[in-house]
Amino acid sequence: MTRPLKLTLQLLALGAVAGLLALLVWRLTHQQHAPKVGAAAPGFTLSMLSGGGSIDLASLRGKPVVLNFWASWCDPCKSEAKVLEQAWQRYRGEGVQFVGVDFHDVAGDARRFVSAHGLTFPMVQDGSGDVTSGRYGVSQVPETYVVGRTGRIVVHIAGPITAPSFAGEFRRAVAAALRS
Amino acid sequence: MKRGLAVAIATLALAAPAAACTPKTSLSYLEGQIMCPTCHTTLDQSDSAAAQQIKAEIAKRIGQCWTAKQIEDELVGNFGQGILAAPPRKGFDLLAWWLPLGGVIGGAALLAFGVWRWSRTRGPEPEEPADELDAETERKLDEALARLD
Repeated sequence: MTRPLKLTLQLLALGAVAGLLALLVWRLTHQQHAPKVGAAAPGFTLSMLSGGGSIDLASLRGKPVVLNFWASWCDPCKSEAKVLEQAWQRYRGEGVQFVGVDFHDVAGDARRFVSAHGLTFPMVQDGSGDVTSGRYGVSQVPETYVVGRTGRIVVHIAGPITAPSFAGEFRRAVAAALRS
Repeated sequence: MKRGLAVAIATLALAAPAAACTPKTSLSYLEGQIMCPTCHTTLDQSDSAAAQQIKAEIAKRIGQCWTAKQIEDELVGNFGQGILAAPPRKGFDLLAWWLPLGGVIGGAALLAFGVWRWSRTRGPEPEEPADELDAETERKLDEALARLD
C-alpha cells in the first residue's frame, strides 16, 4: 500500500473514532434532567389544546404559576384532575395561574378528558414531548412544578398531588410562591 | 315488514362506507410504522397506556376509511416527526437512508481494495525443501547409525 494512501486511511479511521467519541460526549452532556428547585423554569411557547392561540411561559412572569403535566391515558391524572380544578378555583382569585401541559397525547382524547373532568384552567399541548421531556425531564405523568413570581421553581412534585405525601407539599409550595 | 325494511336500509347505510374503503389500511402495518412515544418502541411491541390510545386512534381512523398516509400525517401533526419509526425519505432525513448504505458500499470497496493490494504485494511462494539428502549429509547419517549399532 502506498504511503499517502495508508496515511489517508489512517486519518479517516482516526476521524471516525473522534466523531464517535464526540457523539458520546454530546449524548452524556445533553441528557434530560429535571430542572432543580431554585433554578429558572425552562421557557416554552405551546399551542392551546383548544386550538386557538398559545401560551408563552415568559408572559406569566410576575404571577405564581402551577405547571401540571398530564395525559388522558394516565390513570393517576384522572384522580388528580378534580383536586387540581378545586385548587385552581381556590387560588385563581389570589393571582395564581394554573397551566396544564398535555403530553404525548391524542388531541381529541385530551379534549374529551378536559371536558369530562370539567377542567377550566388553560391547557396547552406538547404532543412531541420536546418541552415536557426535553426541558422539564418529565418521563411519567402526572408531575407538577410550582413556579414563583420571579420565574424560579419553588417545588417539583413527581407524582399526583393527591398522594398523601404530596398534598401538603403542594399547598405549602403554592403559599410560598404567592409570597415570593 | 316496515321494520325489516328499516333494518335493511340501516345495514346498507353502514355497509356502504366500509365497502368504499378498499383496499383497507392495515392496522398491523401501521403498528409497525408508528412509535409509542413513551416507551420508544413501535406500537406492535408495546402495551403501554399511550400505545393503546394511539392504536385505538388508528383503528378508529381505519374505520373511517383513512389511508395510511393520512393517519401518519395526523399523528405527525399531533406528536411530531418522532412518532414515525422510519425517517421520511426526503430532505435532510434522506441522509438517514443513504448514509448506512454508503457506509456498507464504502466498507466493501475498502475491503476489496485491501484484498487486491494484499494479493499483489505478496512475495513468491517459498521453495519446498528438497526431499533427497545431499551426499555429505547422507554419509554423516550413515556414520551416526553405524556408531549406534
